[in-house]
Amino acid sequence: MSDLDLATTWFLAARTMACGGEEPSIAEEAAAGLFARAILGLDEETCIAAKGKGHMQSLTLIDCMAMVGQLPRGTADQVMTGVMMIAYAVASMQPLQVRWASMLASSMNMTEERFQRCCVNARVVASMLPHEQEAIGG
Amino acid sequence: MDEPGGNFDFLSKYDDRVAHLARQAETYVHSDPDSALFKLRLMVETMARTLVDMQAPHLIDSDLSVMLRSLQRSGLLGSREADDMHAIRRDGNAAVHGHDSTTPTAIRRLRDAWRVSRWYARTVRRGAKVDPPPFQAPDPPHGDIGGGEAHARAEALEEAVEARRSQTRKALLLFGDEDDVKAMRWRLRGELRALEAVAVAAGEPIVDADFVALVMAMDLEQILEHPAWGRSSKEAKTDVEQQFETFKSAHAAAELQYLSQRAAIAAETRRDQ
Repeated sequence: MSDLDLATTWFLAARTMACGGEEPSIAEEAAAGLFARAILGLDEETCIAAKGKGHMQSLTLIDCMAMVGQLPRGTADQVMTGVMMIAYAVASMQPLQVRWASMLASSMNMTEERFQRCCVNARVVASMLPHEQEAIGG
Repeated sequence: MDEPGGNFDFLSKYDDRVAHLARQAETYVHSDPDSALFKLRLMVETMARTLVDMQAPHLIDSDLSVMLRSLQRSGLLGSREADDMHAIRRDGNAAVHGHDSTTPTAIRRLRDAWRVSRWYARTVRRGAKVDPPPFQAPDPPHGDIGGGEAHARAEALEEAVEARRSQTRKALLLFGDEDDVKAMRWRLRGELRALEAVAVAAGEPIVDADFVALVMAMDLEQILEHPAWGRSSKEAKTDVEQQFETFKSAHAAAELQYLSQRAAIAAETRRDQ
C-alpha cells in the first residue's frame, strides 16, 4: 500500500470517527493530523493530497473498510489506535462511533485482546496531545 | 488619529487598554520591531484574558497558549482568529527571548492584530457595527522607503515562512479549508446509520464499549501500573514520545532557522541605518 493510500485510509477513518460524535472539535481536528505526521510517518504533501478535493470525496465507508482490511497487522493496529485516540481526545464516545470502531475492528480481523491493547495505547497517546500541539505552535 | 497610522482608533470604545497597546505597537513597527511585537503579544494576552473571563474564569492565570486553546475548544475563537493570535504569540515570545525581528515581521503581525481586533470588538460588544477603514501599513519615518535590499529580503523570508506554516497547517487539519464540514458530516453519519442497520440485522458484535469507557475513566498512572496493560502501555508511551520528539525536532529546527535568518537581516538593517 502506498503512502497516499495509507493517508487516504487514515483520514477517511478518522473523519468518520470524528463525525460519528458531536460536532468535530479542534482537539479532534489537530489530533488526527498530528497522528498522521508523527506516528504514521506521512509527509505533509501526502497528507494534503489525501484530503484534496476529488480524491477522498468519491470514497464510501465500505471502501474504507476494504482498505483497512488490506493493511499489514502493525499498521492496522496503529490506525485503530489513532481512531480510538480521537474518542479519547474529547473523552467521549457516541453509539455511532462505537459502531464505526467495531466495523473497523471486524475489517481488520482484530481479536478482542488486540482491540483492547489499541484502546489502552490510544488513551496514552491522547494524554500526550495537548503538550505536543503546543510544541508545534498551537 | 491620535497616533501614527491610527489603524486601531476604532478599538478605543470597545477596550481602551487593548487599543492603547495596539497603538503603541503601531508606533514602534519601524523604530523598534521587537518592542512592537512585545506590545502586540501583550495586546493578545489582554484580549484572551477578557474572553476567558467570559467563558472559563478558572483559566485566567494560565499561559496564553492554554487560554487560546480553551477559547478554540469552546467555539468562541475561530480558526482564522486563532491562527492570527498564535502567530502574534509566537513572534512576541521570540522577541521577548532575544530573537531579533524585522519591520516586515512586525507589520505582518500588526495586520493580524488589526484583523483580530475587528473580531474582538464584535465579540465583546455583541451586535456592535464594527467597520473600520482598511488596514494601512504605517509609513516609515522621515520619508525612509524602508531599508532597501535587506527589507526586500525580510519580506521574501516572511512570505516563505508563511507559505511553509500554511502547508503544515493544511497537512495537520482533519478537514481542508474549502471542505463543507457540515455536508461531509451529514453524509458520513448517513452512511454510518445505514451500515449500523445492516450490522444489527446481521448480528455483528460491537466492540466492548464498557472496556472503552473503563480506559477513558482511568488515570494515566493507573494504566501504566496496570498488571495486564502496564508493560505494553509503557512501551507504547516510550515509542510515541520518540516519534513525537523526532517530528517536533524537525519542526523546531525549521523555526530556528527562520529566526536565525531573520536576525541576520535585522542586524544588516541596523548596520545600514
